[in-house]
Amino acid sequence: MSDQAVIPLRVVGQRLPRVDAGERVTGRAIYPADLVRPGTLVGSIKRSPHGHAVIKSVDTTKALALKGVKAVVTGADFPEIVPGTIIPFGETGADLWVSALIVMARGKVLWVGQPVAAVAAVDEHVAAEALSLIEITYDVLPAVASIEAAMAKGACVLHPQHTTKGFEPGAAIPPNIGSRTLLERGDAELALTQSAATASIAVKVYTGHQGYIEPHACVAEADPQGNVTLWASSQGAHQTEIQTAGILGLPQSKLKVVPLELGGGFGGKITVHLEPVAARLAQISGRPVKMVMSRAEILAGGSGPPAAAQVSVEVGAEADGRLKAIAGRYVFDTGGIPGTPTTLLMQASAACYQTETLRLEGMDVVTSKPRTEAYRGPGGIQAAFAVEQAMDELAIKLGMDAVAFRQRNAAVTGSLMPAGTPFPSIGLTTILERVAAHASWRDPLPPGKHPRGRGLALGYWRGTSMTSAAQLTVAGDGRVMVTMGTVDISGTRTTMAQVAAEEMGLSIDDVHVATGDTKSSAYSDAAAGSRVGRTMAAAVVDACRDALGQLKGRAAERLQAPEVDVTYDRGVFRAGGNGGTAASITLGELMRQTLTDGAIIGRGVSTKLPFGVEVGAHVVDVEVDPETGQVTVLRYTAFQDVGRALNPTAVEGQMQGSVVQGLGWALTEAIDYDADGKVRNASLLDFRLPTALDVPPIDCVIIETPVPGVPYGLRGVGEMPIVPVAGAVANAVRRAIGVRVTNMPMTPERVLAALKNKAGNPA
Amino acid sequence: MKTVVQCEVNGEPREALVDPRDTLLQLLRDRLGLTGTKEGCSNGNCGSCTVLMAGAPVCACLVLAGEAEGAHITTIEGVADGNDLHPVQAALIQHGGTQCGFCTPGIVLSAVALLAETPQPTSGQIRHAIAGNICRCTGYDKIVTAIAAAAAEMQAGARQ
Repeated sequence: MSDQAVIPLRVVGQRLPRVDAGERVTGRAIYPADLVRPGTLVGSIKRSPHGHAVIKSVDTTKALALKGVKAVVTGADFPEIVPGTIIPFGETGADLWVSALIVMARGKVLWVGQPVAAVAAVDEHVAAEALSLIEITYDVLPAVASIEAAMAKGACVLHPQHTTKGFEPGAAIPPNIGSRTLLERGDAELALTQSAATASIAVKVYTGHQGYIEPHACVAEADPQGNVTLWASSQGAHQTEIQTAGILGLPQSKLKVVPLELGGGFGGKITVHLEPVAARLAQISGRPVKMVMSRAEILAGGSGPPAAAQVSVEVGAEADGRLKAIAGRYVFDTGGIPGTPTTLLMQASAACYQTETLRLEGMDVVTSKPRTEAYRGPGGIQAAFAVEQAMDELAIKLGMDAVAFRQRNAAVTGSLMPAGTPFPSIGLTTILERVAAHASWRDPLPPGKHPRGRGLALGYWRGTSMTSAAQLTVAGDGRVMVTMGTVDISGTRTTMAQVAAEEMGLSIDDVHVATGDTKSSAYSDAAAGSRVGRTMAAAVVDACRDALGQLKGRAAERLQAPEVDVTYDRGVFRAGGNGGTAASITLGELMRQTLTDGAIIGRGVSTKLPFGVEVGAHVVDVEVDPETGQVTVLRYTAFQDVGRALNPTAVEGQMQGSVVQGLGWALTEAIDYDADGKVRNASLLDFRLPTALDVPPIDCVIIETPVPGVPYGLRGVGEMPIVPVAGAVANAVRRAIGVRVTNMPMTPERVLAALKNKAGNPA
Repeated sequence: MKTVVQCEVNGEPREALVDPRDTLLQLLRDRLGLTGTKEGCSNGNCGSCTVLMAGAPVCACLVLAGEAEGAHITTIEGVADGNDLHPVQAALIQHGGTQCGFCTPGIVLSAVALLAETPQPTSGQIRHAIAGNICRCTGYDKIVTAIAAAAAEMQAGARQ
């Protein structure tokens, strides 16, 4: 482990350009859709038109007979996978059954857009015709396409065999609940009745989307000896391999996943979607098969969106502002398959505050919608939309400044986290001091044409660590090559080249970092959970030290000195201990002389690194047009403790991108499902992502409170900065027009409805 | 019934056999192998497939391949002179204006077209010029900064 902030760093912390930017700005970066293999077929999916139906029969005869069709598959072409088929995956393992149903329906369809069959054909036109020739008969069942419909008394139960866990014995359990979690400390109900002031809010968040610009794509090829190669755009090559092999019933020795460039994932490219289908079509046809989802497929059931949610929160405090209770109920839409976890998001939403009592209840509800998947701090923005509004309202009731109220109750190092364990090192109070002193909070809000308001919200995300592996070899000229087991999701090649250059005492130009395929790199968990920068840095540091140890032995031999007397600094080994000036040899010369003595292979594995918890605060100014309900974001400042910024440009890029994603969901983005689960806005015209004209510059304030026991004191970066966004905007809207908008996205019609409601019910 | 389309792409005469249903995007990517132009939505909503026709940005997914007959087209592959980057490309590298990179080719072409027409754009004009190019990674900030820096660089170069 590095000694944090003791050794001055040369390369880590620099604003270096991405090492792979050149190929990106010239169009040379290769994503799976760009890959051309000889004789490649086009694969395409036949999707369910129903939200809930039994598949009575699938007849592929006519499709197979069409000239140019080379393979057709259905659920029958994949082995049966039962619920509870746990594969190694992240902290807890994952149920392969979930991935298998996302890839191909079996027996019944659970959402509109779920795959039912697939074809491989000579071109996209033939493939489209073949899909239309597949004859499927369904026995249509009632769909329950919202949380309300699914939980209503007498609702059609989507998974009759599923046992709901987490309720007390004898409790009345509503239909379609995946499981329930309760986290309780003290008597929150009593504390609320004893509070000098309380505030409560109930919000409804509609289904959003990760909105990665690169559609899901892959290319699969099978050789005559049964080896399958899969070129993928995925957040984890090893996760793609383990899921795909499991779904196909293929030994992992026969499957190689090659990660190509990833055109955005944000959580939506961890689970496999097309990959096992492409592989099976390639096995059957004996030809390479390329599959690319259309945007309409992505938005209408082909991919897993983040969860819709209903969250109600009540908070109470003493007259001096000290928080007495947080009580929250978090109901999350898991889509067509149970199992979306709520524990972490519940805890995250309350984590920034010290409170005497706490009662958090969460549950996932099965609906006739696509199985939800992760999206940047999964569930965090939905929960914070409720909690941060409740906290803001409480501050208003107490007559306290929003920052002062947070300072009064801010979690500190060692204070109790919602789970009851002490907080590891966090810099929330430092952040709040910086906010209080910053122009974005202190500057008077300039008057505008319409009412304006300034909002504040806090955010927390735990992130994860799991495991990362890197191997390092040294070339004959002393240059260093690192192969990572993770993909590059956020400039990982660049930041890890910085780490390797730092540790090896070299320039970044003397280091090459590659994302390995699954047969040339060692198991690493997915690029998710704000973990890759931190944990891969630890692995690379480990690999560098291992390699340097081996090199020192060789240098000692060449310098004819005892190994303990050999030192290394910036590319030179010297004999004679510290400050010794006797004999020396450069790393380059050493390798020229000894490369053929055998390879230097540095091994780096990091496992269960201390969590790099992320905290931050966002300040936003908005203007609300009371005639149209339009909310315009005028100014936005994001404060975040990142432990240490490996590359401040990359850190700002994560923060700014997160904020703008958050603004999109806060104000415009929602998938519009009808009562049968059909999507009514499956295009980027109607599912509206923010453009450059919709958002102001996003100012970033980076704070560095190192995490003990982690190289350079790194924290996670990428997820937290989406968490506070919608809450901050809602609080700004409240300060502008005096009403709370409780439905997200806060579209003009919802803002107008809130204003109208206020006019009809004067306080 | 396939037909032959002849056009000029990045200054070179090209021809290809196209299906009447093919778009210019399919012509460029699938027939001519110019995969730098990306497909993000096939609906003209995301701008990833932006190319220049007679110097003006268009979404290649909204143009039929047949309409490219006789056209002068610039794709991302034709923006740099070999490895001598256009100032917009160099500035995007320098200022962190590319992350996942999928929207980047379209952004580059929109910016190149803007600076050809408006050599000293305001940040508002820059945002307007790339409003048809959706980027999900950067929040646009560093792209806008990069294009402004490229404009300044080109102005400085022009004065020399």
